[in-house]
Amino acid sequence: MDIDLLIIGAGAAGLSAALGAWEAGCRSILIADRRSRPGGILEQCIHPGFGADLTGPEYAAALFSQLQNTNAELRMETEVLSVSENREAVLSSGAGLERVRFSHLILASGCRERPLGALNITGTRPEGVYTAGQAQEMMNLHDQDPGERILILGSGDLGMIVARRCVLRGKRVIAVVEKTEKYTGLARNYHGCIEAYEIPLWTRTTVTELHGTPGLEGVTVRSLDTNAERFVACDTLLLATGLIPEQTLVSGLGAPAWLHLAGNCNHVHDLVDSAAQEARTVGFEIIKRT
Amino acid sequence: MKRFDVIVIGGGVLGCFMARNLCRWDLSTALLEAREDVCTGISKANTAVVYPGYDHKPGTLKAELTVRANRAFGMLCEELDVPFSRCGSLMVACGEQGAAILRKKLRNGLESGVPDLRLLEREELLALEPELTEAVTLGLYSPTAGTVNPWALGIAAMENAVANGAVFCPNSPVIGIREEQAGYAVQTEGETFFCRAIVNCAGLQSVSVQELLAPSPVQLRITAGDYLVLDPLTAHMPKHIVQYEPEQGKGLTAVPTVEGNLLLGPSEREGSDYGTDRRGLDFVRKMTRRVLPKVDLNDTIRTFAALRPNPERPNGSSIRSFVIDHPAEGFWSFLGVKTPGLTCADQLGSYVALQVAETLNARENPHFQPIRRGIPKLHGLDFAARQQRIAENPEFGQVVCFCEDVTLGEIRAAIRAGAVTVDGVKHRVGAAMGRCQGSRCRLKIEALLREEGVYGH
Repeated sequence: MDIDLLIIGAGAAGLSAALGAWEAGCRSILIADRRSRPGGILEQCIHPGFGADLTGPEYAAALFSQLQNTNAELRMETEVLSVSENREAVLSSGAGLERVRFSHLILASGCRERPLGALNITGTRPEGVYTAGQAQEMMNLHDQDPGERILILGSGDLGMIVARRCVLRGKRVIAVVEKTEKYTGLARNYHGCIEAYEIPLWTRTTVTELHGTPGLEGVTVRSLDTNAERFVACDTLLLATGLIPEQTLVSGLGAPAWLHLAGNCNHVHDLVDSAAQEARTVGFEIIKRT
Repeated sequence: MKRFDVIVIGGGVLGCFMARNLCRWDLSTALLEAREDVCTGISKANTAVVYPGYDHKPGTLKAELTVRANRAFGMLCEELDVPFSRCGSLMVACGEQGAAILRKKLRNGLESGVPDLRLLEREELLALEPELTEAVTLGLYSPTAGTVNPWALGIAAMENAVANGAVFCPNSPVIGIREEQAGYAVQTEGETFFCRAIVNCAGLQSVSVQELLAPSPVQLRITAGDYLVLDPLTAHMPKHIVQYEPEQGKGLTAVPTVEGNLLLGPSEREGSDYGTDRRGLDFVRKMTRRVLPKVDLNDTIRTFAALRPNPERPNGSSIRSFVIDHPAEGFWSFLGVKTPGLTCADQLGSYVALQVAETLNARENPHFQPIRRGIPKLHGLDFAARQQRIAENPEFGQVVCFCEDVTLGEIRAAIRAGAVTVDGVKHRVGAAMGRCQGSRCRLKIEALLREEGVYGH
């Protein structure tokens, strides 16, 4: 099929980009997303704090209802296999493959999390180590617990929010471990998640080694001030050690004029409103310019 | 009570090929594996190199089998439908000590019949492999060296053995062996097997398995090594296997794997579990910066440790050759097979299968079918071929592992082919092996394992 605008990702950024483009007059928009429901990562963010204090799914639903007023076409459970220099994307779903030719592409594919292998942590590779987002997905979308005695590495917003979520599910969060002198997420998340639930925050500290096999039995934590190391028993380690903008699909394409990045795959935003606003502007400007 | 002609103990890559080669004879064969799947020990963590054969003293079994194995490797991988990349290797030196070793290896190789070996001077070397450090002075080029995925090879051999009638028994650690009339009783935690012959391929446990029946002539000193795996998208990937021979001490092997990753390692140190070690990893990083200075180590997606059994005589002196012990009638033991065990697994299996067959007066099996077909990959197919596969089964249209482009249909096929864990799925179809290391697909794979009724480990 031929369209004016292909958007990859139906999270906050992708939906907002579609709304911006529609507002600017674009009437040929296709959004492709690998998940089964629109909203992207918002679907698993069931805590309030999005926009005017909505939960993630509520925020996504609000965007999605605005999209209903447009003729943008949404393809869920659809993976974009490739994007080529001649402005053609190949989409895959249970229905088959489809070639989509487009005038503009907005990549709104969010982030992936930094995995254990990319961190300088030695020792065994036991069960019980997850990224924070993975643990959030387990708890909030599948009603599964990652473990009972949990240590969290990284005090960004995701680390702090997941720490609170574990406590709310009745789990013991031994500590949130942070290498800098202070938590790195938003103050409101520190107050609302860490302080309010009396979760220990170990600053100037890091995890250096994992112990146990096949399941995690504990970790070595190191004080970055004294270099003293000690063993901390735990059955679960959650890694909230950073988000990497997901640009793999367009790596190697350079920066052609038709390619645009929006939301967290462009850079990591602290607030969903700012990612959505940026994406809306990107969508609007592309169409206005042409 | 179960009766077989031969019991193979241990389902590493060697045990898998032992079982497959026994199937070439009219011998009923069972393979007892302590864990839930094949290739979970030494074979899981490995340098993945198919060696050309110049590392060993000419005339030794190691040299002879390696040269023969290398020559046959392409055909073996075609029979078993396993990706094999004959990318060639460059052993490089940056000084006179290293160069002397290269010249010695060249002489060994020529004498052992390694084809197409030649020494390359600096300029030719850098033209062939521009990622190398400018400090190189000499290289030994071996175009026949290659790389294979060790667990893909082991799984393929086992599947082919099972298709030819062998019985695979997972979760069956052997706890006792006793002589019986005309054979042995092999006891696992759950049951007792009777057999006419035993081949012990238990790797790190091979000495303790032998000692269930007979004393061992060797002991195993276990050493560990650390590796890094880099994202296939990393820049400055060498095209050849690069082996660095430093002026003193241990060097480095860098392998562009069949999956497209760059594998770097190993260090060498004491160690008895699969945990990685900081100093070991730092050593690998240091060596990488020295020989492949443009490689960006920030592209590391995984680190792992390997264990090696080093056979030693009772006086502590190390043994360089393969130790194949035959302590009793109808009982063979591979004691501490290490490098080039992956290269030689099929040859070693064939070599001992012949001895077993002679002892048991077995005839060749005229029905042996050497061809095995793996689970076809969707990734890499052209549009029409991929479209065709999805039309046959819509689950081939649903991508589950985004990093490695692995579909629901392939993952289900892996489970039906014997995967019972996420690792088992990884090893069969490559899901969760990519840059996110399964953080986006692991839960879906676990759900699918439960759906297929096999998940419980």
